Amino acid sequence: MIQLNEIDKFIESRFQRVFILKGINLTISEGEFITLMGPSGAGKSTLLNILGLLDSDYEGSYLYGTQNIRKMRDKDLSKLHKSEFGYIFQAYHLIDELTVYENIETPLLYRNVSSAERKSIIADLLDRFNMVAKKDLFPAQLSGGQQQLVGIARAIAGRPRVLLADEPTGNLHSAQAKEIMEVFQELHKEGTTIIQATHARENADYGTRLINLLDGRIERDEII
Amino acid sequence: MWKNYLKISYRNLKKRKLYTGINLLGLTIAIVGFLSISLFIHHEWNYDRMYSGAERIYKLNQEFAANGETQLVGSTPSSLIPVLIDEFPEVETGTLVFDLGIFSSVVVDGGQGSQEEKSFAFVDENFFRVFDFELLVGDGAKVLDEPNQLVLTESTAKRYFGFAQAAFQNALKIDGKEYLVTGVMEDFPSNSHLDFDFLASFKTHRHGKNPEWSPSNYYSYVKLKEGSNRAEFETKLPQMVEKYLGDIQEEYGFKTSFLTQPVTEIHLGDQSLSSIKPGSDVRYLYIFGVVAILLIAIGVINYVNLATAEATERNKEVGLRKVMGAERVQLFGQFVSESMILSFLATGLSILCVFMLGSRLSDLVGFQLKTDLLLTPGGILFLIFLVLIIGILAGFYPSLLLAGMQPIKALGNKVKTGGTAWVRKSLVVFQFFVSTGLLIATFVVKSQLNFMQDVNLGYEKEHLIALNYTNSMEGSVEVAKQEMIRSGAAVSASIASDMPVFIKAGYKVFPGGDFQGEFMITGYSVDQDLSKTIGLELLAGVDLNRNDLNRSQAYEEGVDFPVLINESALKATGWSAEEAIGKRVNFGGSMARIKGVVKNFYFNSLHYEVNPLAVFLDPNQANVFLVKLPEGDVQSNLNKLKATWEGIWPDRPFTFQFVDQAYEQQYQSEQRSGLIFGVFSGIVVLIACMGLFGLVSYVALRRTREISIRKVLGATQGDVLTALSADFLKLLGISALLAVGFGIWFTDSWLSEFANQAEVGVIPYLLAILIVLVLAFGTIAYRSWKVYSLNPSETLKND
Repeated sequence: MIQLNEIDKFIESRFQRVFILKGINLTISEGEFITLMGPSGAGKSTLLNILGLLDSDYEGSYLYGTQNIRKMRDKDLSKLHKSEFGYIFQAYHLIDELTVYENIETPLLYRNVSSAERKSIIADLLDRFNMVAKKDLFPAQLSGGQQQLVGIARAIAGRPRVLLADEPTGNLHSAQAKEIMEVFQELHKEGTTIIQATHARENADYGTRLINLLDGRIERDEII
Repeated sequence: MWKNYLKISYRNLKKRKLYTGINLLGLTIAIVGFLSISLFIHHEWNYDRMYSGAERIYKLNQEFAANGETQLVGSTPSSLIPVLIDEFPEVETGTLVFDLGIFSSVVVDGGQGSQEEKSFAFVDENFFRVFDFELLVGDGAKVLDEPNQLVLTESTAKRYFGFAQAAFQNALKIDGKEYLVTGVMEDFPSNSHLDFDFLASFKTHRHGKNPEWSPSNYYSYVKLKEGSNRAEFETKLPQMVEKYLGDIQEEYGFKTSFLTQPVTEIHLGDQSLSSIKPGSDVRYLYIFGVVAILLIAIGVINYVNLATAEATERNKEVGLRKVMGAERVQLFGQFVSESMILSFLATGLSILCVFMLGSRLSDLVGFQLKTDLLLTPGGILFLIFLVLIIGILAGFYPSLLLAGMQPIKALGNKVKTGGTAWVRKSLVVFQFFVSTGLLIATFVVKSQLNFMQDVNLGYEKEHLIALNYTNSMEGSVEVAKQEMIRSGAAVSASIASDMPVFIKAGYKVFPGGDFQGEFMITGYSVDQDLSKTIGLELLAGVDLNRNDLNRSQAYEEGVDFPVLINESALKATGWSAEEAIGKRVNFGGSMARIKGVVKNFYFNSLHYEVNPLAVFLDPNQANVFLVKLPEGDVQSNLNKLKATWEGIWPDRPFTFQFVDQAYEQQYQSEQRSGLIFGVFSGIVVLIACMGLFGLVSYVALRRTREISIRKVLGATQGDVLTALSADFLKLLGISALLAVGFGIWFTDSWLSEFANQAEVGVIPYLLAILIVLVLAFGTIAYRSWKVYSLNPSETLKND
């Protein structure tokens, strides 16, 4: 599904290149649940950003299915980005000015989903995450775990095939983290491809494959 | 989608109160100014467009040509209109207006004492066919068909009869003659160049019964038939002139031609043409138009500046939305909708303000502003357009900037503002350039206006009053003068053709006597006490006295008459003052002997140089009775004068005007323009300072941590102020420089309109820069003090 070849990402400094990613070769098949691990600065977030088409400033080739990402026009990229990817952040990154309902609605608006369809999708999601009663609250009125649930609901509202999560449980205590990981597991069972970056080894147990990054290289790649 | 945009925009605006407040207030003030000026310009622009078929109505002006010189005048002979109606098939109809007010006032007796009225005109029976004003009572087709008929305006009718209908078929005695009120019309609109209280049938007048080709005292208007061609009509006029005036032209060696002027162009057209109402200089409209646009620009710039300064705070939101799939266009739409909402709210508030301030604004511009225009379909369309334009102008750049951010960088808050900083800086420079420039312009205008008020005119206009005088009073003039002086109410008195403020009569010096050249000269008909009364200074020769012959007597007897000439006339002759005394010149066809030379005094607008002038005795030409009051209690002196006056001329109302006020009225339009200009410049400065306040607030906010650290390290309040203000002061310096450049250009071009200019100097420049600096610095100082007074332990804790 995804094939990365010889991905380099570096920052040009005055005397030398500082590599953030170096020679990454990675093939991801549909339905995998991959965990990226490694110390801070290993390049986990950078790799996620490249996978999620948020960063185009790198070298190497990226095939998504049969499409060559490196050669696509902005418009097509944007289309692909909208239809295929969902994102979840460590800091939730909900829009403070919007209610729970509106936060989940936003990606649907950008996908020009009709009003009736939006309503039914959001109703399902609220129901699934037990947040019906909270739909009119603003993010500041929710606990961290609840905010992340909204974040997940928002990420999957557009029915992406790939879910990218950058430290999804980093800001949560263990009980909440467990809940989030169970949701991921469920989504995985339903067929969503998930790629998460994390510091916590226990989160990797929910996945199917563990990749260790160190200093911008893949150090170890194992199936669990 | 749009519902969503609006909702989010609304919440954003609500959340950021300072930002919204400054933008809303600034835009509102700017739009109020813009709308007021627009209404003003609309009013001036639509002068005389309210008559049906206004585009086919033309005023006829007359051009005289003799000896290679031409003179265009606004008045025509009484025969013109009847001839045009009879002989020109393309003329649908035409009318003649004789503005009696130019020459004298009338005394109107409505049964309860007599009153002096100035706004009186004779018009012919076609008046209402050309100018279709609405008649409240009476039939427009025949109200003025017969002699001694009268149409009153509604407010005049109210004045004399209590209400409009009561006037109908009632009589008024005017100058002793009885007139029947056959109609009452609506008051003349403020933007019609016609403006009278009384319209009497022209058939009452001598020339109404028997039209003649001289004198040219009448305004003529024709309405051409639909589809007829103005140029074609004009080319046929010379044949008519030849037919009727050919002989006279040949005899006196001049040429006359008639030219058409669209009625809609009278108000803003050639201001040297006499007209019923003073017109206006179209350039003032352009200047006001520019000010109106600048107001909006400054308000919009505030928005752009604050929105870009604030953009950094919204990086996260933009980044997130992009990650969720927002496209540039969609984000752009969202941010523009924010500026649209503000623009909409500000326009709404402005309309409220304009309605509430309506009467104040009307006082400022000098006529009733038609605020209702804003609610007509055209007005509403204009407002919608305004909302859109402002919304787009304000929102375009910031939205582009925000929508263009890279999501990763935006989420990481790693956005450099370097690229936008220079835009913001240029906009600040522009704002303060405009503010300072407008202030300089205001002060320059003001100093010229002050100059015109304080300049030594060459005569003493203080304590000088002018009463209305007619020939019938001639027998008692000397008695009245003596009585006034004896009672202590007057120092001196004289009759004269005009107030010295503006002397109208134009003559020409022809070759003859001791002088073989020729030049145009103004003539001032007076009596022997004029020099004393208005305080003229004699440079050579002797003053006129009562034993001198007056011009009419001399003409009858075929002898020379004595004149005083001014320095300009002296210069035209080339003689020295001493040489000139006793010289004979041909003054307008009769011989004059120069008896004295007076120092130049301003008898015309200061727009012009002092022209040659001759002062001579001629009581027949007198229209005013000038009285110099002694220093001291003016009111008691006026009372004494009144008693004397009413004792001698019981049938003449005691109506007077102070000459210094009449002088100032000449510059009313300049005064008013100066005032309007000043008010709006002030507003521009105010809005610009509000913008600066907002901008400094953001900078201060962003630098709170830095300032706290500085404070911990021992920075004084002064240091903080310097840190915050250094950048802005640099910008202010640049704008001041630019403004000085503009000021020099403006001073040069504006003052070139005046032959007599004030010494402007550097004061306006310094003052303008100082004001802007003080306001701007005050704004910054206030902000820096606020930040400085924060407790560092609070502000640093947040990290």
